[in-house]
Amino acid sequence: MRIKTISRSVDEFTRERSQDLQRVFHNFDPSLRPMEKAVEYQRALTAAKLEKIFARPFVGAMDGHRDGISCMAKNPNYLKGIFSASMDGDIRLWDIATRRTVCQFPGHQGAVRGLTASTDGNVLVSCGTDSTVRLWNVPQPSLEDSDFSSEKTVEPSAVYVWKNALLAVDHQFEGELFATGSAQLDIWNHNRSQPVQSFQWKNDTIISVRFNPGEPDILAASASDRSIIIYDLRMSAPARSILMMTKTNSIAWNPMEPMNFTAANEDGNCYSFDGRKDDEAKCVHKDHVSAVMDIDFSPTGREFVTGSYDRSVRIFPYNGGHSREIYHTKRMQRVFCVKYSCDATYVISGSDDTNLRLWKAKASEQLGVILPREEKKHEYNEAVKNRYKHLPEIKRIVRHRHLPKPIYKAIGESRVMNDSKRRKMERTKSHSAPGTVVIQPHRRRRIIKQVE
Amino acid sequence: MGGGLKRKSSSSSKSLAKSKKKKGPHLPNSILKVIANQKRPLNSDEEDDDAIDSDDEHGGDLYEYEEGVPEEESRKNNRYDRHDNYDYELPEDFEDENVESEDDVNSENDEEVEGDDDDDRHTRMLQSLTGMPSAAFEGDSKSKPVLFTEAYPEGEFNPTRDVLEGKNVLTEEDFLAPLKGTPGYQKTSKQIARMQKGTKHVVHAPLPKPERERLERKAVKGIVDEEFGKWVHLVKKNREAPTVYFNKEVNLGYSTVSAIASDFQPRTEFEKKMASVLNDSEVTEAHRDDGARLLELNEVSMEDHIKDRNHIAKMRSLLFRHEVKSKRIKKIKSKTYHRLKNKDLKNSSLGALMDPEMAKEEAMRQEARRVEERMTLKHKNTGKWAKRMISRGLNVKYDGTKAAIAEQLQMNASLSRKMNSMRDGSSSDESEDEEELNDGSDEDTPSRLIAKAKEKTLKALEDDEVPNSGLMSLPFMARAMKKKNEEANEEAKRALEEYEEWENAGGENSKKPVEVSGRRAFGATAKVEAPKESRKDSDNFYDNSDSDNDMAGVEDNDMKAVRDTASPARNTGTMTDTEKFDDVVGNPASTTTFDVAMFASGSWKKMTGGKNTESKKASKKTRVPISQAQDKKGSRDDGSEDSESEAERMVDGVLTSASKETFEIPSQEEIINRAFAGDDVLDEFEKDKEEVLNQEVPKPEKPVLVPGWGNWTNIQRKIGISKHELQKHEAEKKEWEQGLKKRKDARLNHVIISEKVDKKAEKLHTTTLPYPYTSREVFENSMRMPIGPEFNPSTILAELNRPEVVKKTGVIIKPVKFEEVNPNDEVDDEHPRNHQKQRTKKKTSKRQGKVKSK
Repeated sequence: MRIKTISRSVDEFTRERSQDLQRVFHNFDPSLRPMEKAVEYQRALTAAKLEKIFARPFVGAMDGHRDGISCMAKNPNYLKGIFSASMDGDIRLWDIATRRTVCQFPGHQGAVRGLTASTDGNVLVSCGTDSTVRLWNVPQPSLEDSDFSSEKTVEPSAVYVWKNALLAVDHQFEGELFATGSAQLDIWNHNRSQPVQSFQWKNDTIISVRFNPGEPDILAASASDRSIIIYDLRMSAPARSILMMTKTNSIAWNPMEPMNFTAANEDGNCYSFDGRKDDEAKCVHKDHVSAVMDIDFSPTGREFVTGSYDRSVRIFPYNGGHSREIYHTKRMQRVFCVKYSCDATYVISGSDDTNLRLWKAKASEQLGVILPREEKKHEYNEAVKNRYKHLPEIKRIVRHRHLPKPIYKAIGESRVMNDSKRRKMERTKSHSAPGTVVIQPHRRRRIIKQVE
Repeated sequence: MGGGLKRKSSSSSKSLAKSKKKKGPHLPNSILKVIANQKRPLNSDEEDDDAIDSDDEHGGDLYEYEEGVPEEESRKNNRYDRHDNYDYELPEDFEDENVESEDDVNSENDEEVEGDDDDDRHTRMLQSLTGMPSAAFEGDSKSKPVLFTEAYPEGEFNPTRDVLEGKNVLTEEDFLAPLKGTPGYQKTSKQIARMQKGTKHVVHAPLPKPERERLERKAVKGIVDEEFGKWVHLVKKNREAPTVYFNKEVNLGYSTVSAIASDFQPRTEFEKKMASVLNDSEVTEAHRDDGARLLELNEVSMEDHIKDRNHIAKMRSLLFRHEVKSKRIKKIKSKTYHRLKNKDLKNSSLGALMDPEMAKEEAMRQEARRVEERMTLKHKNTGKWAKRMISRGLNVKYDGTKAAIAEQLQMNASLSRKMNSMRDGSSSDESEDEEELNDGSDEDTPSRLIAKAKEKTLKALEDDEVPNSGLMSLPFMARAMKKKNEEANEEAKRALEEYEEWENAGGENSKKPVEVSGRRAFGATAKVEAPKESRKDSDNFYDNSDSDNDMAGVEDNDMKAVRDTASPARNTGTMTDTEKFDDVVGNPASTTTFDVAMFASGSWKKMTGGKNTESKKASKKTRVPISQAQDKKGSRDDGSEDSESEAERMVDGVLTSASKETFEIPSQEEIINRAFAGDDVLDEFEKDKEEVLNQEVPKPEKPVLVPGWGNWTNIQRKIGISKHELQKHEAEKKEWEQGLKKRKDARLNHVIISEKVDKKAEKLHTTTLPYPYTSREVFENSMRMPIGPEFNPSTILAELNRPEVVKKTGVIIKPVKFEEVNPNDEVDDEHPRNHQKQRTKKKTSKRQGKVKSK
């Protein structure tokens, strides 16, 4: 009779240190594990529930302004710093880690409407309704900042007075130029008191400007005549303009896909456009129930955050029609500005209640140092959740959000309205000669025309 | 480019101004008359849309001031650009203007033009303010009387007819013609000719501003689109990548130990001392040399050496003392230790072996135990409990019971064996003993045996009881058993007849057949020893009859019957033997084997062969199946069986034709029937189906009358089950029947189609295909493999679970930088993640690509 013995060499099975893990052998034969699918499903369910349990997105509030926050700027070179400006002309630099004011920039006589920082983080540019553009030297972060002993104040390094009230400003990526929006679009250099270039097309006020981070010479602006205009600094004329039904409050370029940008619209939707195509939006991001006031892309280009007049902050996937997350608190008022942090981990919102709020971009993410095994576990949980996300139970748990009552009601109302509109359209179509009534998709419906 | 455009625009504005000033002088007389008749206001707005065709044919006649052909002449040729004509004012007369103003010097002309421009603007302003025609403000203007006749300035909205028809082309010659004969004519014409020779190309008239801007925007759009277009491949690659990494390029600072050490500064006293030694220039130098100097540096003084040595000696002595001390401590043991040790020694078997008395005592105890066991048969499954278990078949059902019974048997065996081992010499093998007894049984008179057999057969006939529990209670078993019983009964009856015959025939030769038949059943060894008695007068008749007798019992297939047939042996033979047989019968395994008769007999044979001590009665039983085959069916079972039986007969040497006649080859059907006698597949299936149906469409329960429930018992007895309950039951029954009828397998007798929905499995399935997937197969394939650590080796686990975006908190992510990407390159699949996923992603991105390209 033949006897099979188990032979294991000592060398292979001796641990080098006592802390080492024992070798464990698995038989991966699927026939031995008939329940794997059920097991993984259960794990996905657990992961979904755990995600809910650990969803604590609110990190903290930054309190100090005496009026509603009108705009923010992030320091592209320094993670901990964020600038904010309020309607009373106050500009502050915050230390996100400690959530305290590091520095103040007094000087504006009216509301500050635009704020931006140069790519190296040394120069802060602000503009406001007092028709001035102010340049500030940003104090270098040092160890002393962390002792919160005193708040510094900084004098502007330059003040340029302009003809009109300025509503928006944005700095070029890795360049010397910045653009301001007023009655026209002006391009400025740091060292000149007059704009180096001006664009005026139609006689409408520019309400937001955003430079393309991937293509530093291209910028998009939105005007009060409901149009979105794309400019190229190397050319003397704008490239194209899209006229929509409602005005665009803010624009954000996708930092990883330089041709794409998303516009935050007054009608509560965000419209993702391809810069080469203006007849239709690539995607309509719906969920907000009131005007979207500000939008900022995640540096990964896969998500963007929006702040809305309905007192909520939402995070959307760049190609998804609905938000994956909504943030709100009882005390947060109209959100006027939002920013995604440069490491794509946090979201900062500034609202009418004079506070800046710091949120985690992923509500249930574990902060701090994570051991490799923990990380693996998180990854597995995420993967398995993602794998079974289409199953009803998991979908329900993952999608479920508690909403403030006004938003919840408004969503219901808008649903009723949309349904009735749709019904009416369908009936009109069915009662008219075939081909005479064409129901446009939402991607096209809101665009009035493309101006040549 | 911008500058150029600006220049153009300025010139165009100039031209516009000029054109405004001069109000189309090309009107023919007829039209002028008409205009005069209409008494229209003169010099109406330039915006006025009235269409007045100017005739250019007489143009030359009207102008006396055309002296020379200006440089700009060439431009004029192209003023009939279709665009211009339709949209904007034709700068038709600005050439004239130029000609007029620019006699010799261009610069002068420019100034003048500017002056004109200003005038014109002023006029327009006044006009807009007052609402009066511009002519009113042009009192001092240079306009000629002819101009008053012009009601409709030639402009973008009232071009000349020629222009509209598109055939009117003015040439330099046209302008020069009226000047023929004037003093400067020759010169000018020459100049123009020269110029024409030099400049063959045509300079387009500047476009109006909005148009120009539109064109400009178009151009910019194209450039910007191109700029964006170059990113497409890179973006596509990024989108298709299963994972995007943003955690690269992290500057961790120091990466090696030496790099960290290089910055080390000694701070404490000890560190400083160490550093001074390490950095001693002498030492380093010595190291760098051959090392001989190191020895010199290493020199130790005598005092130091002695001190060192003393120190070592002291240490050693201390160590030694410590060692001695510990050794002594180790030797000391406590009282308890010794007490326990002694006790252990006493108890050990070694002690017992040493002590003969103890051994004797032990042996006595063992003996007593054995005797007791033999007396009571406590562990022979004769106890109440064991009997009950066996009778109810619980020992088959429950493993625990089975084990307990087996344990008892083993205990019994061990007890008896112990004794044997204790007294080897005193007794021979038990089997010998048994054989003796068996012989004794053989000595019984045949008549008595026959009588007993008869009695047993009768008894067996009488009690055909069917056990109502266990395997035998199942309907198909019961049916099979009933059939068998009937057959057995028949056989028994026949046997009875035979017994009677024998009794009549007399008993003198009845002794031998028993023996013979008994021997025949054994294997080869048995057969060899059998012949001496059987060879001379083995009677086949008896043989057959015997076998019949036995068969009656076994065919019965009832344990009880078997035991009954075996009971004669008990009477005659040893106790142990019958008991063993009982055990076998009681054993569940053997009962099952009895289902297939042939197999059962085989096993029994084996057993008997092994034991080699069997009573003849028992051995007879073993032969049963064969004889049954011979008698009942009168046929042979199969080749081997046949040969076997033939061999037996050869050995016996009593092969008779009579026996051969009875053999007949059974039909295929019969063989199959016999082979699968036990398992009635159809019935089983029916039963299964019934069960499934019952489970899925449960049969409504009949209303039961529970005394005292719902009413008084006497009333209950009177009215019975209430009407509404009966009605309810009826309705339920109807529903149940409907439910059964509605089933898919209602008409399919050999099929069970389960219509039960497993709720637990349901939640693992999706009704619709999730978003990126377009085909079911692809989706199912992607879901087939699990991704957990239990199901995959750790080497691919990370790849399987990698998120789509890998980033690190605290690392700033910079915007995308342009790099050339070859669109034909496959996405570098460094991470074998699930290929499925990637494929689907590609699909979606293709879709997006299409959208893009639209």
